[in-house]
Amino acid sequence: MIGKKIAALALGAVLFGAGGAAAETVKIGFNVPLTGFAAADGKSALTGAQLAVEQANAAGGINGNKIEIITYDDQASPKNAAPGAVRLIEKDKVAVGISGSYSGATRAAAGVFQKASVPYISAYAIHPDITRAGNYVFRTSFVGEVQGRAGAKLIGEMLGKKRVVVITLKNDFGKSLARGFKEKAARFGITIVNEYEYSIKDRQFGPIVSKVKADKPDAIYASGYFFTAGPLVSQLRSGGVDAVVVGQEGYDSVKFIKIAGKASEGVIITTSLDRDSKSQETRDFIKAFEKKAGFPADMVAASGHTAVKVAVAAMRKAGTTDKKAIRDAIAATNLVASTGTISFNGLGEVQKAVQVQIVKDGAFHHYAVIDDAKLLAPPAK
Amino acid sequence: MDPQLLFELFVKGLVQGSIYALIAVGLTLVYGLLRILYIAHAGLFTLGGYCGVLVTNATGSFPLALAVAMVSVGLLGMVIYRLCYQPILDQPPYVALIASIGLYIALEEVYRLIFGPYGDSYDNPPFQEIVQVFGVGLKQAEIATMVATVVLLSILGLLAARTRVGIAWRATVTAPNMAESFGISILQVRYLNFFIGSALAGFAGVMVALLNNLAEPGMGAVPSYKALAIIVLGGLGSVRGTLVAALALGVIEAYGTIYLGALLDRDAIAFAFLIAVLMMRPKGLFARA
Repeated sequence: MIGKKIAALALGAVLFGAGGAAAETVKIGFNVPLTGFAAADGKSALTGAQLAVEQANAAGGINGNKIEIITYDDQASPKNAAPGAVRLIEKDKVAVGISGSYSGATRAAAGVFQKASVPYISAYAIHPDITRAGNYVFRTSFVGEVQGRAGAKLIGEMLGKKRVVVITLKNDFGKSLARGFKEKAARFGITIVNEYEYSIKDRQFGPIVSKVKADKPDAIYASGYFFTAGPLVSQLRSGGVDAVVVGQEGYDSVKFIKIAGKASEGVIITTSLDRDSKSQETRDFIKAFEKKAGFPADMVAASGHTAVKVAVAAMRKAGTTDKKAIRDAIAATNLVASTGTISFNGLGEVQKAVQVQIVKDGAFHHYAVIDDAKLLAPPAK
Repeated sequence: MDPQLLFELFVKGLVQGSIYALIAVGLTLVYGLLRILYIAHAGLFTLGGYCGVLVTNATGSFPLALAVAMVSVGLLGMVIYRLCYQPILDQPPYVALIASIGLYIALEEVYRLIFGPYGDSYDNPPFQEIVQVFGVGLKQAEIATMVATVVLLSILGLLAARTRVGIAWRATVTAPNMAESFGISILQVRYLNFFIGSALAGFAGVMVALLNNLAEPGMGAVPSYKALAIIVLGGLGSVRGTLVAALALGVIEAYGTIYLGALLDRDAIAFAFLIAVLMMRPKGLFARA
């Protein structure tokens, strides 16, 4: 008799416990370089993403469930990113994956996520093959070629400079930017006087500076990250090269201005974060980020923040942890974020305007917006 | 071919070569004495860079930063000798090499943990004025680097040849037991060797951080293997050889990046040059007996 009562009590306790089980946490996987050569961008991306998660949790999480971000350090290397992706999917059972890393690592992880049918969003990696992994992969930032084309329009048409020297960083990032630039250069009347390449480890550009001075260009289209572009621009100016320097989102950090000092004045970049934006989303993000991180926001941080926002919005809309439903919700995104209005085409690529910023008085400021839908059309397959 | 451009590339090559020389000479000093390839040297180079930036930013005095960098890095070098190398001196040389590489990797990550991944820059970098030298515009910092290389290496040469300390040092290299029986303290010579070699790395770090206006955790990665190539090229253990090899490499790279850049990466050019020279002179340019 007593045995049965105990059994009944026990059963009740179990059922009660299960029924009243704490709200489940929704897990978002995040691969990001926290050590190695790309650690600076990794830290920015992670901080932006963490801010988005905090803000989402403060607003009730996902239909009452808390969001947790699970991070793996991939050192921006494919051989770490792929196993990391496997762990996120199988061990941590994430609902969605986000890449806060560079193209090489993201490409590797994208394949893994696609095969497991888990949605994956690339925050800022620009290689076109990433979304070609399949319909579960999305990208919230420009493909490299699109930004390069915008650069051609900026230099040839908006700045009216025709003789251009192209200096390219020898990796996925720099090469796809250069490809896009060269594709449209002739259309905007640009003659490419000379092209030079450098490696991500280079910091001294003496010989290139001397040769560019002899080339006498009207403008220089140089790709790089703040730790290469900073020294490059500084050395160009002290080497006597006065031509306007046009960069891209890799320059988009106060660190670039700190390294190059006065040489950074007048540098123009294509990017997705407008410091003087009239959009409330962007202004709120810039303020909140600086408060959290202690330094001003950069493009990478904004991209990490945007990617998480897209994932969270989709999961809220889907109302379930079914991966297919989440994927469909992401595909139907129409969201205003700090880096623009996000909506995806059939390939998972975003279509949005390019922000152009200029360094004035030691900070990035609004210069122009390029909104040519045809020019900026992302690949559709 | 524009002669002014060719000359300018040559001068820029010498500047880069001076940087390489400053970094590599500490490495050759240690090899000459202990037959150890001191890769962790590059980790001390990085620390020197950080000292230079952080002390200058905090106190406004670049000379003070230079002194702090050289002394603290020199002392750290001695500590590394005592803790890392001395215990394994009787092991085969590859043990020291592996320990060295491991130490470098650890140092790079420690700097990342302590100083953050973004790197640090000078608030007011000194020596930025451009000076015209034979029609080539050079920053004062670049001229200072070249001058420092010549001065420091000359002092080193004088030290080795003309002073008791220098003679004791050379004796310890060629015949340690004999030297010991003459009352020379092997341990003191080794400590001095590591101190000087490391202090030179610290000095190089300060100058490179100034030239780039950036001290970053990974700034020693390229010097760690390029310096190795340079000391092999110059003849292991020869300071003069290191200087010549470093300057030659700087100039070859300068011309190579511009005229061969489409074919070969900058580092590939450096190593192609190394291979070419070693095929003709297998022991390096100024090999010691």
